Amino acid sequence: MNSRIIEFLKATVGAAQVTNELIDLISHSTDASGFRHRPEVVVYATTTEQVSAILKMVHEERIPLTPRGAGTNVSGEAVPIKGGIVLDLSRMDQILEISLEDRVVVVQPGVIYADLNHQLAPLGFAFPPDPSSGKVATLGGNVATNAGGVRASKYGVTKDYVRGLQVVLPGGQVMRTGTRTMKSSSGFNLTQLFVGSEGTLGVITEITLKIAPKPTETYTAMATFQRLVDAGRAVSQIMRSGAVPSVLEIVEKNCIKAINQNTDLNLPEVEAVLLTETDGFVKEEALFQMNKIIETLRANGALEVRWAETAAEAEALWSARKSSYPVISRLNNTTFGEDITVPLSKVPDMLKALEELGAKYDLILPTVGHLGDGNMHPHFSYDRTNPDEVQRVKKAEKELYHKTIELGGTLSGEHGIGLAKAPFMSLEHDPVAMETMRALKKMFDPHNVLNPGKMNLEACHG
Amino acid sequence: MVEKLPGSRDFYDRIIRCNNCGFCEAACPIFKATRRSALNARGKMIILQDILADRQAICDELIETLFQCTFCSGCTTQCPAGVNVPEILRAVRKDMVNIGTCHAAFKGMDQVLDKHPNIYAAGERERFGRKVNQKAEIVFFMGCVGQYREEDAVEAALDVMDHLRVDYTLIEEVCCSGVLEDIGFAIHDDLVRKNVALVRSTGAKALVTGCPYCLRTFKHRAPYQPLRDLGLELLHISQFLTQFDFPVQTHLKVTYHDPCDLARHAGIYEAPRQTIKKIAPNFVELPNRRANSLCCGAGGGVRGAYPRNSLSMARQRLKEVEEVGADILLTECHSCVHNLSNARLRRQKFEIYTTSQFIRRLLEGQALVAANKAP
Repeated sequence: MNSRIIEFLKATVGAAQVTNELIDLISHSTDASGFRHRPEVVVYATTTEQVSAILKMVHEERIPLTPRGAGTNVSGEAVPIKGGIVLDLSRMDQILEISLEDRVVVVQPGVIYADLNHQLAPLGFAFPPDPSSGKVATLGGNVATNAGGVRASKYGVTKDYVRGLQVVLPGGQVMRTGTRTMKSSSGFNLTQLFVGSEGTLGVITEITLKIAPKPTETYTAMATFQRLVDAGRAVSQIMRSGAVPSVLEIVEKNCIKAINQNTDLNLPEVEAVLLTETDGFVKEEALFQMNKIIETLRANGALEVRWAETAAEAEALWSARKSSYPVISRLNNTTFGEDITVPLSKVPDMLKALEELGAKYDLILPTVGHLGDGNMHPHFSYDRTNPDEVQRVKKAEKELYHKTIELGGTLSGEHGIGLAKAPFMSLEHDPVAMETMRALKKMFDPHNVLNPGKMNLEACHG
Repeated sequence: MVEKLPGSRDFYDRIIRCNNCGFCEAACPIFKATRRSALNARGKMIILQDILADRQAICDELIETLFQCTFCSGCTTQCPAGVNVPEILRAVRKDMVNIGTCHAAFKGMDQVLDKHPNIYAAGERERFGRKVNQKAEIVFFMGCVGQYREEDAVEAALDVMDHLRVDYTLIEEVCCSGVLEDIGFAIHDDLVRKNVALVRSTGAKALVTGCPYCLRTFKHRAPYQPLRDLGLELLHISQFLTQFDFPVQTHLKVTYHDPCDLARHAGIYEAPRQTIKKIAPNFVELPNRRANSLCCGAGGGVRGAYPRNSLSMARQRLKEVEEVGADILLTECHSCVHNLSNARLRRQKFEIYTTSQFIRRLLEGQALVAANKAP
């Protein structure tokens, strides 16, 4: 990076907020994906004006720029694959307004998810999506990847809460989208265009989020299944019954086995465990939903259904689900969590396909998932120093995506596309949709300076 | 490059096991104080992964992060993959020192202990008017920070033991030198021999210390096996005090900072609370406590090598004390009490003590300190 550019950046944000020290370049070279490429300089911006000046400059100078929050994303969204500048927004971290009357908060993109909910909790409110990285992930990143979590089947994902944004476009123009109202039928929904856009269209510098009152009553239950497909079928039937679970999670046999080998939880050695929670503001409401769910679980082959009567018991039931990721992460030196999502009726088919895939490629695919919304995280757990295993994983992954699309599903429920799934975009999106996305990219970012290389938006990737 | 790093290579599998999820940022005190991801555990692991994959050579520019860690292990408690970063860094630093890449301040610490019996190169030995190198039931080990920086904390522990009529002796102790293993060097055998011989000659049945780091060194580091072979009990003062009751109580709101070395590293959470709750019924917990305690920023040589960041870390811990509205912050580590006291801002009106210091204050208030000092 030439010194004129470095000097411009220092003049814009202050010398202390610009670094090309080796350790900063390396630490900004990757995220929670396996992709890696070093930037030439890292800039921490703290105001919209700074972001605007920087985006004007990169647009004019044709310098690649990758926006970044906490870098917890798993698909390579924050990896500066074309080098250039990493614009780190994690220090732009002010909660600007909490308005219970309007039921909105206005935040800067670097606010950590958990910090917002820490402020909202005493007020009886929450921003519900609850991504598992919430203790460290930023809200800007949540919006840019349309993050979800365990309660999405009832409470939705990030996009369902974003009411308005302030966005800086390549070229430096600052745009406000949306409103702080609960509804709006005014003009194109530009806000949603930026939700999940992974920093390819503009840089989000302010977010207006809807917040929700936090339910005070919950019921938790766990059911075991001898056969995986029965668990899948139970899920489809629960959704068909009209019940509203706030949580409906699966932990399948490979996970259960790993948990039992590595913890003292002594889970029953079954093919699947379903964990479910219902909630409400009065006990009756949560209980009504739970009764309906349990009835369906029993009618669909549940071996055992265990209820939690106290918070401590609920915690014990949750421990199987909560220990899943740590346990999976320790199975091998490499863990890659997929994020496929299928229509609710196809959950049993997908679970069956995962079983077959593991057998075909001689891989263990420990799987957890938010089955209440059809979102599954089969994990490829493998030794990345073993080329044969890596090849098998690659083949299995490709087949997994094909199967998902065949079932009417999507490549990603909540993680995003980034680099990891970019080569498969055309599998899911038809040529007209791909061309439309590329045309939009070109309109917002004609010189392809913003997070280039992601989502297969460059025509040459065809 | 890898072949030049025999120690780090042993940790290869654990280093690549870090999947860079970044969950460690939730607990890393340096990251929280600086918001610089290169200093977080993940930042360190990304660099080490590049080194082991031959994408990056070891060079002096890496010192800034690889030698800047308080060894608090907050990251380890958050890590889904169970990566123990301090353990890895200990091996990496040894390799770096061997190839001549090391923080100057840490090299200096090793050299000081070549020539001096304490880490501060202090000449005068503090005896607090107590008996030294005598026969006694208990040896009280002061530690360098206690002896030369937080003398009052040591004196308070001795005053409290006097009040309890405990039969103890000090020894002409030398630095345990445990910290050297954290910063790329080795424990000095001559210092070990001296400490072991002095302890042995007292015939004590127990060694009590106010320094949780010295305690960990004695209990777990290999060169101190001869000390353990003496068969005496090794206790932190907070554990020792649980067997006693005190005829004092305070109405003030008291909170407690879990020192990393005592809490996460040694699993001693209850003992200090047991005593504190006896004397302070109005006890409140800090938001980050026990295994999730937030480091004070003093450990791993960071206070000496990176004083500014060390103080920033302490300040962020003190914010939590303000948040709970405590009048008194107690802790059980000389380094913690030192760093937290240095970081306190004028507007922060709470007082900071070790539990012994606070007990002594309460006893003094009721003129209950026994004049039991040795001639």
